[in-house]
Amino acid sequence: MKREQKAGLVLMSPPVLLLIAGFLLPLAFVAYTSLMPPRTFGFTSNITLENYVTAVRESYWRPMAWSVFFALATTILTMLISWPIAKALVRKSRRFATIVATMIAVPVFIAETVRLFGAHLFLMPRGGILAGTINYFFGIDIGSVLFTPLATLIGLLYIYLPFALFPTVLGLSQVPADQVEAAQDLGASPWQQLRYVEVPIASPGIIIGSLLVFVLVLGATSESHMLGGQSAVPIGFAIEQRFNYAQDWPLGSALATVLCLITALLVFPLLSRLDLDRLFGR
Amino acid sequence: MTRTDTILSLRDLSRDFGGKLAVKNVTLDIREGELFTIVGPSGSGKSTLIRMLAGLEIPSSGDILLRGKRINDVPANRRPTSMVFQSLALFNHMTVGDNIEFALTVRGEDRQKKRARARELMELVRLPADYYAKSVTRCSGGERQRVALARALASDPDILFFDEPLSAIDYRLRKILEMEMKDLNRETGKTFVYITHSLEEAMVMSDRIAVMRDGEIVQLGEPLSIYNAPASRFVAEFMGQVNLLGVEKDGHGMVLKDLTIPLGAGIAATEGTWLMLRPERLRVLPENGRADVTFDAVCFNSYLLGSRTHLHAKMDDRTFISELDAGMPPPEPGQRIRLGFDWSDAVAIHE
Amino acid sequence: MQRSQRWWTVWTVCVLVLLYIPLVSVILASLANTRYLRFPHRIWTIEPYREALGLSQTYDLQMTSLKIALCVAVVSVLIAIPGALAFARYDWRGRKFYQRFLLLPVFFPQSVLGLAALVSLSAMGFDLSWRTAVFTHAVWIVPIVTLIVSIQVYGLDRAQEEAAFDLGASRLQTFFRVTFPQILPGLSSGALFAFLLSWSNLPLSAYTTGVDTTLPEWLYSRMSTNFAPMVPAVAVLSILASIVFVLVWQAGRVVVNGVMERRKQLE
Repeated sequence: MKREQKAGLVLMSPPVLLLIAGFLLPLAFVAYTSLMPPRTFGFTSNITLENYVTAVRESYWRPMAWSVFFALATTILTMLISWPIAKALVRKSRRFATIVATMIAVPVFIAETVRLFGAHLFLMPRGGILAGTINYFFGIDIGSVLFTPLATLIGLLYIYLPFALFPTVLGLSQVPADQVEAAQDLGASPWQQLRYVEVPIASPGIIIGSLLVFVLVLGATSESHMLGGQSAVPIGFAIEQRFNYAQDWPLGSALATVLCLITALLVFPLLSRLDLDRLFGR
Repeated sequence: MTRTDTILSLRDLSRDFGGKLAVKNVTLDIREGELFTIVGPSGSGKSTLIRMLAGLEIPSSGDILLRGKRINDVPANRRPTSMVFQSLALFNHMTVGDNIEFALTVRGEDRQKKRARARELMELVRLPADYYAKSVTRCSGGERQRVALARALASDPDILFFDEPLSAIDYRLRKILEMEMKDLNRETGKTFVYITHSLEEAMVMSDRIAVMRDGEIVQLGEPLSIYNAPASRFVAEFMGQVNLLGVEKDGHGMVLKDLTIPLGAGIAATEGTWLMLRPERLRVLPENGRADVTFDAVCFNSYLLGSRTHLHAKMDDRTFISELDAGMPPPEPGQRIRLGFDWSDAVAIHE
Repeated sequence: MQRSQRWWTVWTVCVLVLLYIPLVSVILASLANTRYLRFPHRIWTIEPYREALGLSQTYDLQMTSLKIALCVAVVSVLIAIPGALAFARYDWRGRKFYQRFLLLPVFFPQSVLGLAALVSLSAMGFDLSWRTAVFTHAVWIVPIVTLIVSIQVYGLDRAQEEAAFDLGASRLQTFFRVTFPQILPGLSSGALFAFLLSWSNLPLSAYTTGVDTTLPEWLYSRMSTNFAPMVPAVAVLSILASIVFVLVWQAGRVVVNGVMERRKQLE
């Protein structure tokens, strides 16, 4: 027992030190920067809440609301889209599952920018791949969803689907097929099988998937940058602008701190509920 | 070195798991060259006990003496003992040969020597020589068993420990391997300490048996003496398939509970004593059959067990097990029958 | 049951097709010679590829990305080995807390992670370059690799380690002869994941590479401001590079396994 305690403490230190230096410490710096006077660099003892007041006054709640909306919509839609796929992956043959899972996983490793660029080229008006092809064959000019919030949403669904799908597959793979069959045999309708057997047992995977998508979308910027344009500016984009163009680090940090708090509020309770040993172990 | 020399002594050995004693003050002498079996139900502490003997678990108190020398603090890798694990714990990423040679490899023996030893051991445990380069993952259950045995023997240990290695093997093969285990004990002359939850398995192969319950040894002896005279109701029930009759007091003296039959002469019993009757000793009596004690019961059902037939009969709410004589047609369920036994066949068990 | 299974398959195939449309679009767009995208192209050509390959900048970008990704892969695996053993192998007080703490950077907006690194690194006076990017990538990728290796560690048979110890191996011998070979597949896929995730990352690089530019960063800036068929061509080349890397990696594994097998048979 004692030996395991010592081994655990020694072995955990490399990743924990990395996270302290590269995660906790930087966040503390951000929180501190957010209390500095606007448009200053460096750290002083001049602590002020001015940036937070500015954030509210200059209606930065608007990009925050867009981000929360996009996060919610993306979470729900990717879950709905991935459920039947997850069922197919878990219940159909091993070969089918391997091929499909690989085909879905491969794009994750291709730069997000490249894939969004592809979506942009496809959706472009007039000479775009879709509009151009339709114009060539049918001679009609369809409009384009590019530079609307819908385009951003399409991009988000496209990028984050795998993040919803794979945890759901993990959760669903822990639902024994015979338990679903038993429920069916005992007279449960497909909806009741879902409600009373599949979802409860698969819930750890569903929670991880939803949480992952929600949090990642909350900070996403490239989808709106490359597809939605200025039609709906998410908070991540606003923060980026404070940092890069406006060179106002304190205000950017204040917005980032608020985003962190929202994330923490969601992540802590949900993560503490999960039994990671059971989920990833045998 | 004779069979009565002690090789391993346990003195007041205990293991405490956060306030719960898994093993309580066990004192035991294991003799040179014997096949010693520790048997008990799950949770009886037998696994903890053998893991302490192998050095994988540290005793909370008490001593382990190997040929008189205290080895409590010697870790498993420095003890001249080897263990065959319940799961066998074969190294799946290695071949049969690499597995068998492992103890010699970590000791830094040269290749020729290791090779020769592996060949010798494979022959001993009856593994074909061409299995040397085969992956253990491609071996059958019985073959894996033999690899585990050879691997444990490779370093020429003084004692071999077995932690229920046959529990996952199907019945037919298990019967064969039980006998082979006994043969191997004779051939190698090594001390085997074996753990099992099956008293039947222990009976087949052991020189001596210790029965464990709740961390304590409740009976120690040769197989036959345990079979004939279980020391407690627990041991008797652990053997399974026996009739246990309670003894109680009534106006005249001691009587058999439920049957209200006065105890026969020659049986010393007080209240709380149990009488054990093996099924073959409780007979279904023919029309004019005689026995010291007879009583009526109703046949409940009969079960064919290969060459024998067991009958369950009820009297009030009490079920009796009786073995039918060979060739006797079993009574129909619901039929009234007469059961009987002789006092000389009943064994008194003082709790 | 039968009918719903067919329905799932149809749905899956449709989604797969949609997922690949953007990638196909990039390839299609790269096969023209016009300044603006006018699909279908009047002239189909691989000229942009010749141009992309002739550009020395493409090599520099690929080299920067490669350098970062390789370093991240090595660092992640080295840290993930002890990390995963602490995660899944040993039973110690504080483990549940450690498991959750380790997952936090994964459940975190990446852009915030990147800017936080920027703020702290510049506050502490570090010059931003590909080295600081390695550090920042590692903060996000180490937890992921640790999780991948942990899944392998959960599958470890403890009895095998005890058996090795019982047969006379020291703790160190037990680790290198029994534990390590068993978690090797996890380490291998962990390294591959680390490489690919770093290779394709934008949000973290954008804040922390400083004077150096990675491929995704360059593509991001060129795509939004200065389109030419050469840009999708570079994107396609970067995809090809990662495919080549995966193939080389897999081939390496096969060759190593083959050599080991052969050596055993010859013995």
